Amino acid sequence: MINIEIDGKLVETERGSTVMDAAHKAGVYIPHFCYHKKLSISANCRMCLVEVEKAPKPLPACATPAADGMKVHTHSELAVKAQKGVMEFLLINHPLDCPICDQGGECELQDIAMGYGGGESRYTEEKRVVTPKEIGELISTREMSRCIQCTRCVRFGQEIAGVMELGMANRTEHAQIMSFVNSSVDSELSGNMIDLCPVGALTSKPFRYTARSWELSRRKSVSPHDGLGSNLALHVKDYKVARVVPVENEAINECWISDKDRFSYEGLNSPERLTRPMIKQDGLWIEVDWAPALEYVANGLRQIASNAGAEHIAALATPHSTFEELFLLQKLLRGIGSGNVDYRLRQSDFSADGKQAGAPWLGMPIADINAADRFLIVGSFLRKDHPLLAQRIRQAVKHGAQANIVHASDDDLLMPVANKAIIAPNELLNTLAQVLKALAAEKQAELPAAVQQAVAAVTVTAAASAIAQSLSGGQQVAVLLGNFAQQHPQAVQIALLAEQISALCAGKFGYLGEAANSVGAYLAGAVPFAGNVQGMNAAQMLAEPRKAYLLLNVEPELDMHNPQQAMSAMRAADMVVAMSAYKHHAMDYADVLLPVVPFSETSGTFVNTEGRAQSFKGAVKPLAEARPAWKVLRVLGNLLDVSGFDYDTSEAVRAEGLHTLGLDDKLGNHIAGVAISIMANGNDAGLQRVSDVPIYSADALVRRAASLQKTHDAAVPCVMLHGSEMQKLGVQSGDTVKVSQGDASVQLTVQKNDSLPHGAVRVAAGHPATAALGAMFGTIEITTGHSTKQPENACQVAGQSVERA
Amino acid sequence: MEKIKEFFKTFLLFELLKGMALTGRYMFARKITVQFPEERTPQGFRFRGLHAQRRYANGEERCIACKLCEAVCPALAIKIAVAEREDGTRRTTQYDIDLTKCIFCGFCEESCPVDAIVETRIFEYHGEKRGDLYYTKPMLLAIGDKHETQIAKDRAADSKYR
Repeated sequence: MINIEIDGKLVETERGSTVMDAAHKAGVYIPHFCYHKKLSISANCRMCLVEVEKAPKPLPACATPAADGMKVHTHSELAVKAQKGVMEFLLINHPLDCPICDQGGECELQDIAMGYGGGESRYTEEKRVVTPKEIGELISTREMSRCIQCTRCVRFGQEIAGVMELGMANRTEHAQIMSFVNSSVDSELSGNMIDLCPVGALTSKPFRYTARSWELSRRKSVSPHDGLGSNLALHVKDYKVARVVPVENEAINECWISDKDRFSYEGLNSPERLTRPMIKQDGLWIEVDWAPALEYVANGLRQIASNAGAEHIAALATPHSTFEELFLLQKLLRGIGSGNVDYRLRQSDFSADGKQAGAPWLGMPIADINAADRFLIVGSFLRKDHPLLAQRIRQAVKHGAQANIVHASDDDLLMPVANKAIIAPNELLNTLAQVLKALAAEKQAELPAAVQQAVAAVTVTAAASAIAQSLSGGQQVAVLLGNFAQQHPQAVQIALLAEQISALCAGKFGYLGEAANSVGAYLAGAVPFAGNVQGMNAAQMLAEPRKAYLLLNVEPELDMHNPQQAMSAMRAADMVVAMSAYKHHAMDYADVLLPVVPFSETSGTFVNTEGRAQSFKGAVKPLAEARPAWKVLRVLGNLLDVSGFDYDTSEAVRAEGLHTLGLDDKLGNHIAGVAISIMANGNDAGLQRVSDVPIYSADALVRRAASLQKTHDAAVPCVMLHGSEMQKLGVQSGDTVKVSQGDASVQLTVQKNDSLPHGAVRVAAGHPATAALGAMFGTIEITTGHSTKQPENACQVAGQSVERA
Repeated sequence: MEKIKEFFKTFLLFELLKGMALTGRYMFARKITVQFPEERTPQGFRFRGLHAQRRYANGEERCIACKLCEAVCPALAIKIAVAEREDGTRRTTQYDIDLTKCIFCGFCEESCPVDAIVETRIFEYHGEKRGDLYYTKPMLLAIGDKHETQIAKDRAADSKYR
């Protein structure tokens, strides 16, 4: 610790920190543009010039290391003169078009020019003009002339997003921020550049010219998408969410949010929103009031319960629903005597039901990821499924951690990966067993007898032993299971092995939560084995079709592990009640559509993947006749005479279902009572399906976000194959082939992707183009040459992000 | 002495005569009543009457939808909606002034960076229904088009004081 004096205030600061850091500590504001606490120092804007005693010239506070006894003046004559001069230079080429600039009113340049600039300009010559560049559907660069070359966007790309998609070309007055020739900015974190830009050079394309900053009221909320639970501020104008920006929370999202969190708000104002309850009568949909609609549902359920038995009623809910909704849904179902309720829609292995110690969670606080020094990431499309967790792992790797990957696709994670085992999905378990065996050998540790016996037969490959070697050298090891591993047909065995691996290195073992409320849904009891009435899990409910289905925010053709089976179950059911914010495919098979609201219009709670319960209030009032799902379920409970449905507020529901204190006791990844057995997974012959859920198809809201749907990540999925498999099949990139799984088939375009293992074929799930296929795992057959018809909106083979891998 | 004076005032109607004298003086003074509408009072170039939207000489509307007037309006009389026009410029799709709310403070004109919204010398306008005084963008532009010469002259006269 050293002492330095800033504007007469004595402040103690760490050795090696800068004058800017010390000033923050002392509460002294130094104007700056290029400095950002999360980015490296570039000291190129010169706005933070301060006077340091005994220094001949003013020094940039952001790049000057604090020294013991240093005396800094930020308001002395010399400092003010320097600041005024820099400001004048910055404004030379900056257009004075604040009245039409989207940044106007929240612009750092505007603010600092008011505070530190001169009153008028002496510059009368022509200003520089920078031609706009087309860099994608999310960021507008129409006004690049406003750029002051702070290079925050460039450094963000390099350091946080992991890929330099914007760069500064040329020098001096000709310096310009631009992307590589004809390429767009495709990072899943790109929207943060809009926040970082201190001027109006990079602005939000969907938001362009929709509102001025002073017209917006800011309401706090929580992201309903990935398991991170990013803190959001919804900016509301005229009862509509006009844009979304991050709220800083160092423990969760730092100061970033992913593009999915930022731009999905367009889905809130989608024309597909359901505005009135609807009932199907004689094949025609008619709009009705709430009372008859709910009466109809209650009568229908009562009838089925008395005729066929309550166990013929089933409920499916997405883990993007709030805790309160899920809690009431399971309470309603159990109240009428059925335990068939599940939120694990894309899961296929339920053998650990009731044997898990608690809700599957990350196994550590999110912030601890930065401190880990060895990672084993199993089965995760990390960047697309968890953009900000991937960013944290990237930071850890930058600080010396080693990332090891076991996965069925070698996607570019935009970080150095120490070791990887890229294997077909049916070899995932075996590969983990190899890692475990090698690790035990490396550590010379004794495995439990049962485990030892199970792994005895596996032969350790070089990749597995490299991973084991890396893990054994770690002090803080994190073994993380991604969405793909959780959806795997052997997910429980994978989890058991992963736990053994982490135990051997005294590390942490956890799940990367798929959705905003995956942990919360478990805690709410929206699983068939919780509570007093037990029932069927998501897979059983579809395998043995039920007579009535209650769907909470679910689109069965896109959200289920086996959409084909889901759809046939829905079509065969006597009654399907779809509680949804959108008019979707349910029009085909449902009997009642109840308009419920998305997260922005209701109060609720999400429990994120680290087990942190975050409650939020509704930011805008419900659209038209749509109502919060917890209110709908409450009234349904009353109509069905289920006791204990007299809630006045969502807080009352939360208070009953969730005791925030002692939440940690209810989290637990340990599985007891399931024996490890390294069995081959079904049929090994043929191409094995590797299915990701594309980032912008993961939930109902993001599927309707117009701008995100225009990005490369939202292109119609291709069928991806390794080059050698393509040769074997005799197909070329760009060919249209028939992709069959079981007796269903779809037409898709072939794309070469050498990051896939041999014997695997990547066909995305969760997208209408592949919804006709079966389960997310299994054997896929590819037939060629018969069809010349291109599928609609065929994906562009070039320009896909995988091509860069 | 004072008391005696007060006593005489009580019955001699002194105040009445004083008042009548004032009235009598005005009877012979020069009349200042203006015979509107035949006669008009002089108006300054800063007169704040009915609003108008102006155009540039090439016919392009001035307003760029910056919404400063909407933000500054103390009576919340202005309502603006904005969109990008086909040529990429920022334009209003709606610019309404509710003259029943307007207090004619002139802040809108003061805040306008492009002199688009101005207050003219017109004060004798009327509406027969309440809605008649809700002026929309085409109405405001029409006023601007009709009186542009006078508006421009007034701005020019005021410019040296700004």
